[in-house]
Amino acid sequence: MFDSVFILAAAAAAEEEEGGSFLVQPDIGLMVWTLLAFAISGFLLKKYAFPQIAEALDRRQRVIEDSLETAARTRAEAEVLLEEYRERLTAAREQAEAILARARRAAETSEQETVAAAKARREELLAQAKRDIEAETRRAIQDIRNEVADLTILATEKVTRKTLTEADQRRLVEETLAELDFSALAGEGSRA
Amino acid sequence: MSRRAKIFTGLGLYLAGIVVLVLLTGSAGKNEEFQPQNEFKLEPWVDLPGPFDINKAVVYVIAAAVLTVFAMIYIARRMQDRPNRVQTLVETVYTVMRDNITRNNMDATMAARWFPFIATLFLFIWISNLIGYIPLPTNTEHPVHIFGLEIPALAIYAATANLSVPLVLALVVFIAYTVEGLRAKGPIGYLKALVPKGVTGGMAVFIFVLELISNVLRLISLSVRLFANILAGHLIILFMAGGIAVLMGIAAIGFLTLPLGVILFIFEVGLVATLQAFIFATLASIYFGGAVAHDH
Repeated sequence: MFDSVFILAAAAAAEEEEGGSFLVQPDIGLMVWTLLAFAISGFLLKKYAFPQIAEALDRRQRVIEDSLETAARTRAEAEVLLEEYRERLTAAREQAEAILARARRAAETSEQETVAAAKARREELLAQAKRDIEAETRRAIQDIRNEVADLTILATEKVTRKTLTEADQRRLVEETLAELDFSALAGEGSRA
Repeated sequence: MSRRAKIFTGLGLYLAGIVVLVLLTGSAGKNEEFQPQNEFKLEPWVDLPGPFDINKAVVYVIAAAVLTVFAMIYIARRMQDRPNRVQTLVETVYTVMRDNITRNNMDATMAARWFPFIATLFLFIWISNLIGYIPLPTNTEHPVHIFGLEIPALAIYAATANLSVPLVLALVVFIAYTVEGLRAKGPIGYLKALVPKGVTGGMAVFIFVLELISNVLRLISLSVRLFANILAGHLIILFMAGGIAVLMGIAAIGFLTLPLGVILFIFEVGLVATLQAFIFATLASIYFGGAVAHDH
């Protein structure tokens, strides 16, 4: 350092005139005092300060290492757990989807069955109704036929004043009526 | 204006200010009485037999030792798992001493054995340097009188600004590492290791002598580096804080030198005090490492 050189030069210069040699002259007394102070300080520090500080630092380091280890372990555990949960969740979702699909299929089947049953029932009812109508029609035609026969017999009697036997008369009328077509009355079903 | 221009303008104004002040106030004549180096003169305070008088430097050395020991033990006994600021500082210093200064320069066994020594060296010098910047009533040459009481003037002084203190520490370092080297390699091996491998003949003799001299000169370089830095720092602070004004007999100059004094004071306390302690301890550590190292 420039200033130290300057000062040393100044000190050396001063030495000549004013006796500044004390600046660079070793002083035995001071050296012994320094040695003593230094040795005692070193002894006390070595015994009462350094080990305690080192121990505290080591302890802190251990705590930090332990904490880091624990954190790493906890993290690993958490990751395992998370993976497990994720798997479980996936499984649950798959299961849920399967259940849903099955339910949907069941519902569809059931619907189809219901529709089919309803259709069958409707057709059966329709057929029944048709059969009833036909029977009724046939019965009505028969009634009309009988009525017409009776009326014809009655009219013929009044016109001819002659009475055939009841049986003959009816047979004649029946023959005549058979030639008439009542199918118009009965509709299509009458022919069956 | 560029930064460079600003700096030069500032310096110019500063110098012009000095000239103007000198011209305006004139000189009261050169002061022949004031001897700045006497600030560092050791007057015996307590007379003891032989050379063991207690003087300013002895008081500073003992104060530094007591302060170091008490501060360190006080903190060491109260080490917390969650440190406060002071503990953090001490821990940082401890870690620097252990890792940077000691372990970086010697092998593990040597570091374990010599860490307390190197650490004490660093702390002792550091605290010595630092208390050297606290103004204390130590100047018995120029007492002040307060209500008839003669009180030494406030002054800054450092034990390390006296050659004897660093010299005896350097001597201890020199003896300790030489003993370690002799123990590790034997007397002949130690001397042989001074010459690098592969150097033979006349060159080896030359280097051997050179290394021998350099080893002894370490005593001087180690102690003078510390002593001269601290002495220079104190003197320059002294000059800036008024010494120049007194010497030149121009009181007004003090207005201009005082700010420089403050800046230098901060520089010395903030950097030099710690740096010099660090350098001393690190060099000692390097010498220890070199003394036992097998591959030279």
